[in-house]
Amino acid sequence: MGKIGHDFDPLSSRYLGRIEAHDSNEDRLNQLKVGDFVTAQISRFDPAVDTKPYFETYRVPYVKWMRVLDVLIYVSETLGIEYAHRWYCGVKKCGTCAVRVNGREMLSCWEPALPDMVIEPLRHLPLVRDLIVDREPYERRVMELKPLLVRTKPYLGLPEPITDREMRAASYAMDCINCMACFSACPVLDLGDQTDFSGPAPLVQLAQVALDRRDGMDRSVLIKNTASIFECVSCYRCEEVCPVEIPIVSRVIEPLKALAFATKPAENKHQSAFLDIVNSRGRIDPSALILKTQGLRAVLNPARAIRLWIKGKISPVQTFFGSAVPGIEYVRRLFSDVKGAL
Amino acid sequence: MMKFAYYPGCSAQSTCKELNASLRVVADKLGLELTEYASASCTGSREIRAVRPELFLALNARIIAMAERDNLPLMTVCNTCTLNFLDTKKRLDEDPEARDRVNEILKSEGLRYQGKCRITHFLWMLLDDIGPKKLKEMVVRSLKGMKLAAFYGCHIVRPPAHFHFFDSRNARSIEVINEILGCESIDYSGRTECCGFHTAADNEKVAIKLTGRHIKSAKDGGAQAIVTPCPLCHTVLDGFQKEMEREVKQKLNVPILHLPQLVGLALGLAPETLHLNRHMVPVKLPV
Amino acid sequence: MKTRVTDIIIVGGGAAGTYTALCLKKAGIEPLILAKGLIGKSGASIFAGNLNLHGHVFGGNDEEAAAMRDYIVRWYNHYLIDQDYVLKGERWTEEVYYPELEEAGLYFRRDDQGKIVTSYGLARGAALKQQGQSGILLMDLRRKQVRQSGIETLQETAVTKLVQNDRGEVVGVVALHCPTGDIYFIRARRGVVIATGPADRLASRATGTREQSGDGLALTYRAGGELLNLEIQWWHASDFKWPPCWQRMHVYPNPLVGTKETARMYNSDGEQFFDQSTDAPNSYAPYPTQLKRLAEQVANGKADLNGRYFTGYDHIEPEALRNYARQLKAFEKVGLQAETARVETATTWHYRQGGINTNPHTMETNVAGLYVAGPVGGHNNGSLGYTTYDAYLCAETIKNKAEMTALPNGSDFVAEAERARVTGLLRMLPLNGVSPISVKTKIRDLMYDKMGFIKTKQGMESALEEIGRIREEDTLRMGLNNLSLNENFGWLDALDVYNMLDTCEVTIRSALNRKESRGPFYRTDYPDVDNENWLAKNIIFKHRNGGFEFRTEPYKLPYYRPDFKREKYLDVLW
Repeated sequence: MGKIGHDFDPLSSRYLGRIEAHDSNEDRLNQLKVGDFVTAQISRFDPAVDTKPYFETYRVPYVKWMRVLDVLIYVSETLGIEYAHRWYCGVKKCGTCAVRVNGREMLSCWEPALPDMVIEPLRHLPLVRDLIVDREPYERRVMELKPLLVRTKPYLGLPEPITDREMRAASYAMDCINCMACFSACPVLDLGDQTDFSGPAPLVQLAQVALDRRDGMDRSVLIKNTASIFECVSCYRCEEVCPVEIPIVSRVIEPLKALAFATKPAENKHQSAFLDIVNSRGRIDPSALILKTQGLRAVLNPARAIRLWIKGKISPVQTFFGSAVPGIEYVRRLFSDVKGAL
Repeated sequence: MMKFAYYPGCSAQSTCKELNASLRVVADKLGLELTEYASASCTGSREIRAVRPELFLALNARIIAMAERDNLPLMTVCNTCTLNFLDTKKRLDEDPEARDRVNEILKSEGLRYQGKCRITHFLWMLLDDIGPKKLKEMVVRSLKGMKLAAFYGCHIVRPPAHFHFFDSRNARSIEVINEILGCESIDYSGRTECCGFHTAADNEKVAIKLTGRHIKSAKDGGAQAIVTPCPLCHTVLDGFQKEMEREVKQKLNVPILHLPQLVGLALGLAPETLHLNRHMVPVKLPV
Repeated sequence: MKTRVTDIIIVGGGAAGTYTALCLKKAGIEPLILAKGLIGKSGASIFAGNLNLHGHVFGGNDEEAAAMRDYIVRWYNHYLIDQDYVLKGERWTEEVYYPELEEAGLYFRRDDQGKIVTSYGLARGAALKQQGQSGILLMDLRRKQVRQSGIETLQETAVTKLVQNDRGEVVGVVALHCPTGDIYFIRARRGVVIATGPADRLASRATGTREQSGDGLALTYRAGGELLNLEIQWWHASDFKWPPCWQRMHVYPNPLVGTKETARMYNSDGEQFFDQSTDAPNSYAPYPTQLKRLAEQVANGKADLNGRYFTGYDHIEPEALRNYARQLKAFEKVGLQAETARVETATTWHYRQGGINTNPHTMETNVAGLYVAGPVGGHNNGSLGYTTYDAYLCAETIKNKAEMTALPNGSDFVAEAERARVTGLLRMLPLNGVSPISVKTKIRDLMYDKMGFIKTKQGMESALEEIGRIREEDTLRMGLNNLSLNENFGWLDALDVYNMLDTCEVTIRSALNRKESRGPFYRTDYPDVDNENWLAKNIIFKHRNGGFEFRTEPYKLPYYRPDFKREKYLDVLW
């Protein structure tokens, strides 16, 4: 999304499906013209009278550059149907109008209306009515992560000595408008209370201060335990739906993981093990990794281990006696010589 | 003869040895000449790139530089390796300072990252280099009648910065290949969802609890097998299927094929040659 | 009816309301914020693209401080402002406001050498992180600070009435909590602060956010408070015309931060008629000038207030546009390229310079127990620095006032009557009924049409008549499709209608009363700026007998005075 780079060849099979599905912004924009009608199936739910959500269908006349929000406003205001849906600014600043359209999270004020739309509320948050979800669980999670700057060195007055380069790490997260599209899209949150993962959105808020070099608090426990950041599966669904295009995985989640690791490497067995193995052998042997990460725990699941061994999926011989790649000294040199940020 | 630098990745050389082995025989059949670099390290998966981002760039740039030295495009068979190379390339191509520093480090090995290498995956190579027409001509044994579901794996369709999908569910490359080979593609809800591999070493619950639903959905849609272009996804879909059955309370028995194995079958290679017996879920195909 | 007691009720959860609450809480006084929308999300505060730099902050020199002061007094408030307030506010923002923001972690954008990036020109602005984001980041901070301080809030809660005792003191409010349909009577031991902001959604194109309907003004007016200068109503001249929900998508006419580059406006024949760098080079924000140049095009038939004119950046080097990317995404999103496109724009009802008559040094109104914070007061147009200064002043005043010694009487009866009124509006649509939202739309269309930027006597008088008709006929026919208690926006709309009618009526009356044009207020029957007679507060208030009354009060001009007595409105740049 956004400006496409110089090596983009739209016909490459890497992008196969985009054209056929009218996936691009331009294609989605050009699907309709004035005179056409949009068919919108909109989710309805009133906890006072309904046991579960259902859909109502409306036909809405298309207007120039119509957004999904314009469709909802037409139904609510012009037709007077009184749908409960949130919006305040209409211009991608307040972040309250996020919904799911055809299963994909988006800001209704920002994305073009499509000829056929199924409009539903965000996931992973309690449904209050129709398209309105309760933001409170999100706000609570944010506050748990202590999202205000904690200065351990005294503030010496305005302006403080800082450069844009130094603020770059935290500045990606500052684009966030708290829309919770990423929170809805994250598959780990499907686990509900079987996971302690905070979800991407609270982590973005945390990153605003945690990656700010003016912050002096040790946040490793917050990152690792309270937010359970290592439960992130790196699926990039959050990046896919973020309306302000924050690279959440590479500029929020990974730097926070790095912070947690740097503060207490001994407590991060999996990452330490991974680094050790690549440093010593050049490649990863999954069984070695599991042994190093889980320790005794791994051996305690013998049925599984035996099954894997029989099929040749794990090889104790390779794990214990395997050798390093040729030229490993070059790899090891990278490990020892490369320091700091590039 | 089409020439490629070939990077198998760690998984294809250990847990998923059958992937590397089948890729080799299929490449032969397809008329590809592969150059592999024995001293290529791991690309860093998710772990190294998170905790030592600078080392991550150097490790990946080193591998790309090896391919550049031989003037070859670099072909992968794993989604995460691919994404790691693409991220490295984007970063170094756009940040000349970072590029200079990496090259300073690579100098001692006589390597230099130039930024001219084409990164490709076996999946893309089939369509971009061989092409649908030629591939169809090479099909010896049509897999007609096989109902096949594609499990893409996250890192070959997201993030949008590389793959430019507004909705990654619109990806179609694997279905196109399925159909060239004669299969019937099954649509289902888990096609572009996550397998949970990257938390599995630490905590298998995502892999087991969430991925089971995807396999079930494929099976409920009529799929007789699932094909995936990523050995990490394969490890979960194939290796944890027994545990998933407990979660979804249903017998699954859905064989998981590596993409080269699928292509190999259509090219007339025998299942043993493709090491289909090395899977946890037995591969009994209708064809 | 649910009841609560607190020390201070704050109506409005924007920059002013939250800061007042934070100051009070620190001083041991319990505030309760009632926000009609969501704190940090609704209202005008998040819209600030840049923060104005007052005084000598960030190494500003005397000339620069004077330029910003000139902007505030002349361009932004058209001399309708207390000049001592301007100076005191400037000092406070320099000493407290900016340092506090940075200390709390907000990042005033620097360059790679560490120098603050400011907008081109003597009157300077700086961005929090990036131009276009400042308000969002500021309100994000306030939202978190409010939570961290343990301040009580009720969101999506609309105040429907200011409750007064038999001495006329404001002692509480009645409010509707939308998510549950609960009606609250909340008593305040020390009073109520109105902090509902300068924006409103009273016209069919307005920068006010979804929920705004003139509530702060209507509540105050009904309680006997004085309102002033309501007719001094700003307009944006370059907001996107399409799509409809982008009526607040502003194509900024001022220089892109860090550059000299400005947008240009073209009429329907493609002729350029506005560029800030040539038409108003000394203005930090040239909106009145933009409007005047547009009025000329409308008079020539080459533009309408509602469109047929265009704005764009296509004359600017693409390199210079690169840093402005976030704002330009709007172009891209509708298939245009900012480097080459001119987008159709239209006027949009914007901030009100006028509002509640307030003592600008204490934030008191003429009603006991009723205070103001922020630009809902008619003492300053919207500006986050002064807004925060107001909040500080308001808190100081309240801190120094003794608590009311006994809970006053008479209020229970009033509250109960209000509860009945509110509940009565939750009624089914009758035969030949109208939905409240259709009445709101009617009012908004009327206001955009007849109380647009170019006002005529006939237009205003007919608007007033129409408002009267709507009040007498339409309101009686209002009813709802849905009687749910959960998030019933239809019910809220019904309440809003009355606030809109009141606010629109007093605004139109005020407009008819000011017999001159000034700033963004333009009436064709009095097309001159009259500094002799009308450099004054145009105050309206409810007469004891129910009607309305006017009074005027000239502004003192101790430091700055206009350099003409009377001038053609269209010739005056500000």
